[in-house]
Amino acid sequence: MFKRIVLVVLTLIVLAVAGLFALAYRRAIPPVTPPVASAFAPDLVARGEILAGAGYCATCHTAKGGQPYAGGYAMVTPFGTIYSTNITPDPATGIGNWSEEAFRRAMHDGVSRDGSHLFPAFPYQHFNQVTDDDIKALYAFFMTRAPVNAPARQPDIPFPLNLRALQAGWKLLFFRDNAYGPISGKSPEWDRGAYLAEGIAHCSACHSPRNALGAEDTGSSRYGGAVVDSWYAPPLNASNPAPIAWNVDELYSYLHNGGTALHGVAAGSMSQVIHQGLSKLPDADVHAIAVYMADRMGHGDQGAAPDAALAKVMTAATQSSLPQTAPGAAIYAAACASCHYNRGPTPLLVRPELGLNSALTGTDPSTLIQVILHGINADEGLPGLMMPGFAHSFSDAQVAELANWLRQNRTDQAPWPDLEKKVAELRKPSPPDTSK
Amino acid sequence: MNKFSKLRDQDLAPASPSRRAFIIGAASSGFMMAFARASVLLPSTSPSSVIAGQRYEPNLWVHIDVDGSITVNIIRAEMGQHVGTSLARILADELEADWSAVRIRHVDTDPKWGTMVTGGSWSVWQSFPVLSQAGAAGRIALIEEGARLLGVPASACIARNSVVSAGARSITYAQIVQRGNLTRSYSADELAKLPIKPPAERRLVGVDTQAIDIPDKTDGKAIYGIDAQVEGMLFGRPKIPPTRNGSRVVSVDDSAAKAVKGYLRSIVLDDPSNTVPGWVVVLADSTVAAFRAAERVKVTWQNDDTASVSEQDVLDHGLKLIKDPKAGSLVVDDAGVDEAFAKPASMLQQSYTTASVLHFQLEPLNALAFEKDGVWEIHTGNQWQSLILPTLVKALGVSEDKVVMRTYLLGGGFGRRLNGDYTVPAALAAKALGKPVKLMFTRADDVRFDSFRSPSVQRVSMAFDGNGKVIAMQHDATAGWPTLVMAAALMPKGKNGQPYDPFAISGADHWYNVGAHRVRAIPNDLANRAFRPGWLRSVGPGWTNWALESFMDEAAHKLGVDPLQFRLSLLDGSGANAGSSPNAVGGAHRQAAVLKRAAELGGWGGTLPADTGLGIATTFGQERDMPTWVACVARVRVDRGKGLVQVEKLVLVVDAGTIVHPDGALAQMEGAALWGVSMALHEGTEFQKGQVRDTNLDSYTPLRMADVPELQVEFMPSTEASVGLGEPATTVVAPAIGNAVFAAVGARVRHIPIRPEAVLEALKKPA
Amino acid sequence: MSQFQLNGRPVTVDLDDDTPLLWVIRDTLKLTGTKFGCGIGMCGACTVHLNGRAIRSCITPVGAIAGQSITTIEGLDPNGRHPLQKAWIAAQAPQCGYCQSGQIMQAASLLKDFPNPSDADINAVMGGSLCRCMAYVRIRKAIKLAAADLQGATVHE
Ligand code: FES
Ligand code: FES
Repeated sequence: MFKRIVLVVLTLIVLAVAGLFALAYRRAIPPVTPPVASAFAPDLVARGEILAGAGYCATCHTAKGGQPYAGGYAMVTPFGTIYSTNITPDPATGIGNWSEEAFRRAMHDGVSRDGSHLFPAFPYQHFNQVTDDDIKALYAFFMTRAPVNAPARQPDIPFPLNLRALQAGWKLLFFRDNAYGPISGKSPEWDRGAYLAEGIAHCSACHSPRNALGAEDTGSSRYGGAVVDSWYAPPLNASNPAPIAWNVDELYSYLHNGGTALHGVAAGSMSQVIHQGLSKLPDADVHAIAVYMADRMGHGDQGAAPDAALAKVMTAATQSSLPQTAPGAAIYAAACASCHYNRGPTPLLVRPELGLNSALTGTDPSTLIQVILHGINADEGLPGLMMPGFAHSFSDAQVAELANWLRQNRTDQAPWPDLEKKVAELRKPSPPDTSK
Repeated sequence: MNKFSKLRDQDLAPASPSRRAFIIGAASSGFMMAFARASVLLPSTSPSSVIAGQRYEPNLWVHIDVDGSITVNIIRAEMGQHVGTSLARILADELEADWSAVRIRHVDTDPKWGTMVTGGSWSVWQSFPVLSQAGAAGRIALIEEGARLLGVPASACIARNSVVSAGARSITYAQIVQRGNLTRSYSADELAKLPIKPPAERRLVGVDTQAIDIPDKTDGKAIYGIDAQVEGMLFGRPKIPPTRNGSRVVSVDDSAAKAVKGYLRSIVLDDPSNTVPGWVVVLADSTVAAFRAAERVKVTWQNDDTASVSEQDVLDHGLKLIKDPKAGSLVVDDAGVDEAFAKPASMLQQSYTTASVLHFQLEPLNALAFEKDGVWEIHTGNQWQSLILPTLVKALGVSEDKVVMRTYLLGGGFGRRLNGDYTVPAALAAKALGKPVKLMFTRADDVRFDSFRSPSVQRVSMAFDGNGKVIAMQHDATAGWPTLVMAAALMPKGKNGQPYDPFAISGADHWYNVGAHRVRAIPNDLANRAFRPGWLRSVGPGWTNWALESFMDEAAHKLGVDPLQFRLSLLDGSGANAGSSPNAVGGAHRQAAVLKRAAELGGWGGTLPADTGLGIATTFGQERDMPTWVACVARVRVDRGKGLVQVEKLVLVVDAGTIVHPDGALAQMEGAALWGVSMALHEGTEFQKGQVRDTNLDSYTPLRMADVPELQVEFMPSTEASVGLGEPATTVVAPAIGNAVFAAVGARVRHIPIRPEAVLEALKKPA
Repeated sequence: MSQFQLNGRPVTVDLDDDTPLLWVIRDTLKLTGTKFGCGIGMCGACTVHLNGRAIRSCITPVGAIAGQSITTIEGLDPNGRHPLQKAWIAAQAPQCGYCQSGQIMQAASLLKDFPNPSDADINAVMGGSLCRCMAYVRIRKAIKLAAADLQGATVHE
C-alpha cells in the first residue's frame, strides 16, 4: 500500500515536472545581425529615451559604478540575490542580436530571446501594457547605445528556485495580460497618467505588497505599500500615512522636484526614479501621473493642505524641541535640529519637517533608518541639498532611540518594534569608523 | 595658609619683593625693556649688553620700535581669556602708550622667560604689579629722555598716548626712540619706589576695549596647534592602550591596515620618560589614512589590574579612606576639633560625591614634532611648557637646550593642556622615524587619553552647641590628585607634615568662622593609579565647594534658619578671616558683601511659582591667598514627574578687585558660570573598567545653546588688587542649583551631575 | 577624483569618494579655518556651506558633493567683513575661537532661513554648534546684531 502511494506521488511529480517543462517551452527567436544605429529615426530614438527614463531602466540595469545599461545590479529578494542583465547592443553579452520581435516578447511576456523565462523582478507584467509603438521606440533607443561587453552574472538563488522553467509556473499563477487595468475611462490626462504609471513606470512594482511567491497583491491591498530593497515604499492608496493628504499639486511637485515642504524629500530608489527617470518625461506626463495617483489615493481634487493637520504636526515639532530627558531628544537637538527645525505655521522646503514625512509616519522604519545612517547625496532628493549619513556617529541603539523618540513625539502612530535589530540589518558594511 | 609658593615663586609672585633689576636698552630697530636676572650686576653692566646677551629674564620683554609700535611679549597661553590684551593693557596704561600702537606676541619657550604656565586664574593677578612697575619705569625713562631732547626739565613734562609734552612742545615716543639714548637701569629697590599711578589716573585698565585676538577668530586666520604643518610631515594616530599606566604591548597586527591607501607603518613607542606606556602610533600620509588605518591595526596588550577598576570602586575606596582617621594631610587643624565633636549638643554629617568630568576642549589633542638643526621643535598649544619640557628632554634623551616648544593658540585649555603628555608620543614617533610627525587624536582618542577630573568623595561634619551655634567643623575630601601624579615636588605640607595637593582641597579652607576647624585632604591612591587625574577648570573647588555650600544649606535648614542669614552670621570677618594685604584686604567681609548683593539682585526671600526655588552659594575662588569673592543665586524649576531640573536664571556677583579688561572679565564669568551649569546638570561620565564611558558627543552632553539660562553678572567696584577670574564662577553654580532644587521641591541631591533619576529618587525621601 | 567649487574656484582632488570633506579642505586644500571637533557631526566646528547651506564637513564624503559649491569661513566674505563677522567682533563673541568658524557658518544659514530669528530659532538651529568655552550669550547677541544689520541693509537696497 505504502509503496503504491509512493509510486503515485512520484508519478504525479514526474508528470508535473514534465508538464511544467512543456508549459515552459518557448521557442528561441533567431539572432539577427545587430542593426546599425542609422537604421533608427532620431525622433524615434528620442522618444525611446524618454520612455526608458520613465521605466528607470538605467536604475536596475546599471551596477553601482558600472556602465549604463550593462547590467549586474544586485537585487536582493526574499528568494536570493539576482543580477540585472546587460541591455546594451553588445551581441555577445547584451541584446545586440535581438530582433525587435524578441525585444517585444521579452517586454510583454517575460521571455528571453533564447526562449528562457525571465524572473519576475523584470516587471514584464507592467511592460505588458506598453504599446507596440512605444516598444518600437524603446528598442530603437537601446539598439543605438554604445555596446558594452559585460557577461551576465548568475543569480545567487538556491535550487530549485533557480530553475528558469519554474518561472512558467509562476506566470501561470500570477501573470495576466492587462492585469492592472482599466487604464482608461476618465479624462485624457488621467488615461495618460494611468498608462504611464501602470505600464512603463510600473509604480506598483515597488508600492504594492507581494505574496509569498513574490507576486504583487491585487485587489484592495494593491498599492498598499511595501519594503523594497530595504527601503520603505509607502502606500499609494487611501492608507497612505502622510498627515497631509497628497493632492495633484503636491504629487506633481514631488515627482518633478524630488520633494515638497509638506511631504518631504525623496530618498533611495525613489530619488533615482525621479531624477534619473521621470525627469526625462515632459512635464505634462509627470503631471498626468500626479493626476492619476492623486485619484488613486482618493484625493484627486483636494485643494490646499488642511491647516489642522499641519498645525498639529508643527505643534508636535515645537513641543519636542523643549528640554526633555530622553537620550533620543538630546541626539536630535545636537545632530538634527540645525537642519530640520522649523518655525510654524509652514515648514520650509529646505528644512524637511520630519513629522510630515512618510518615512516617519509609515508602518516600516526602513527609509528613516537608511537616511539616518547613509544620508542623501547632493544629487539626490532635492538636488543641491544634502544630508550626511550618521552611520559612524551613532550606535545601533542610538539610531533606534532617535527613531523611536521621533516616532513617539512627532506622530500619533504606534511605536515600531525591534528597531535596534532593524538598524543593525541596514547598517551595511562600510569603511572603518574614523571617530571612535 | 595654602601656599603654592613652590610653583608660583619661580615666577613673579607679587607678594614677594622682586629681586630682579629692570633694564632698558638698545635692540634691533628700537629699544627693549626687560627684567634682568638677579645674577646680572647693575649698573656695572650696560643694559644693551644684557639684552644682546639675552640675559634678561622672566615674563617680560617689551620692544618699542622706531615707528612707535610697542610689542609686548606674552608668555601666557591664549585659550579664550584674551590674556594678551589684559596684560598689555596693564603695561600700556602705566607706560602712557597709545593703545593703537600696541601689539602682542605669544612667545616660544626659552629659559629666559622663567616659568611658563597658564592656569589657576593667575595670569592677571601675578602680572599686574610687575607689569605696572615696568610700565612706570618705561614711562619715566621716556619722559626723561623726551625732556632732554626737548630741552626742558623732566618735571615739566607729562606723557599721554605715546607723546611726551611740555606745554605746547611735544615729542612722540617714536621720535624719542629714533633720536634718543634710552639706556637705563633700575635696581629692584629703585623699581619698587617708582610712582605707580593712582587708580583714578588709569586710562586703559578698567576701560573696555576690543580684544586683540578676536578678529582673527572670526575669519579663519587664527592658527591653532592643529593647524601646524611642516613640509614632509607624516600623520600619526595613537592606539590608546586599555589603561593609562599599566599597559604593555604584546603584539601588533597591522595586516588589515595595509589595505588603507596611504598607510605606512605602526610603531611601538619606547618611552624613557614613561609618559605613554603601551603606546602604538599608526603612521600614514594623511590624517584620514592615519585615522582609518588605526581602526584596523590590532594591538594586543598586557594590562595591570587597573583594567578592571570602575567609578564605583574609586568612590568606595575614597569612602574607606575617609573612614580611616589617620589617612591624609591636615590642611587646617585647629585645636579642639575632636573635643567639640566628642559630645556636641547636636551635629550634622553628610557625604557628597562628584562624577568624573571630561575636559572636552573642542580642539582634540595634537602635536607636531621634528628635529631641525639639532633642535627638537614641538609645535602645539600648551598651558604649562615648563612642566613638560623636562619630560620631553628625558623622552628624547637630549639636553635641555635642544628642545623648544613653539606656541600656538589653544582651542580650549580648561586645564587639559597643563598636562603636556600628548607632546611626548609625537616627539618619540618623530625620533623613531627620523621624520616630522603630526600626531592627531580623534575625539575618542582625546577623551580616552584625557586626564579627566577625578571622581571625589567628601564628608562634611558640623557640631553645634545648645544654642544652635556652630562650634566645630570638619571637612574630609578624597579624590585623585593631579599634582601628586604630575608635579609632586610642588606639593606643600600639611599640619601633620604630610604633603597635599592644593588643587584637590582648596576651597575647604573657607572664610566662615566655624569654631574649631579641620580640613583633611586624602589622596585616592586607586584613582591615581587607575588613571591620570587632571586639573580641570576650577580644580579642587569644583568639588570642595559643591560639598561645602550644599552642606551650609543643609546646616541652615537643620537649624531652621535662613541659608543666607546662616552664611552671613559665619562670615563675620573676625580672627583668621579678617583678611590681609595685599590680596585679601577685607577678608570675609567682602564675601559677605557679594552674598548680600546677589541675594538682593536674585530676589532672595520673594515668592515664586510652584516647584520653583532659589538657591544660594558663595565661594572665595581658587585660593585663600588670592580670593575672588563670588556669590550666586540660582532660580530653578523642577519637573516633579520627570525629575528634570531647569535653570531659569543665575545671578552672580563678583568682587575680583581691580578689573583690567571689563568685557573680557564678563566673558570669563559667563563662560565659567555656564561651565558650572554644565557640570551640575549636563556633563559627568563614569570610569568603567579602566576607561571613561563616554567618548564623544553622542553620549557626552555638555551644555548647548538651548540650555543657557538668563545670566546676570555684576562686578563689585573695587580698586583692590586684581585677582583671578577664569574659574571662580564655576564652583558656586552647582551648589546654588542643588540648593534651589531643595527649595523648589524639597529634594536634596548630594551628587553632581544631578540626573533626573536622582531628583526623582530624592523626591521620595523625606526632606 | 572629485571636482567641486571651493570659495568660488573650481578644484579637483584625487581622493577616494568616501574621504570626509573636512580633511579635503584642511589637509589637501590647506584651508585651516574649518575645524575638527568631534568627527561625528555633533559639534559643528567643521561647518561649511554646500550651495549656501550649512553642512557638517566631517561626515560629508567628498564624493557626495561632486559638482557642488562649497564655501568655507575663508570664503564667506572676501574681506572677512560679512555682517556676521562684524557682529561677532562687536559682541566680542569668541573666547578660544575654535568653534567660531563653524558658529558663523551655521549662523549664516540660520539668518537665511530666519532673517529675524527668535530665541527658540537660535536655540534649535545653533543647537548643533557646541561652544566648549560656552560663549553662548555673546553668540546669541552677535546673531541678533547681524540680523538687525542685514535687515537694515536690505531695506536700504
Ligand atoms: S567635527 Fe564635524 S561636527 Fe564636530
Ligand atoms: S570659543 Fe572656544 S569653543 Fe567656542
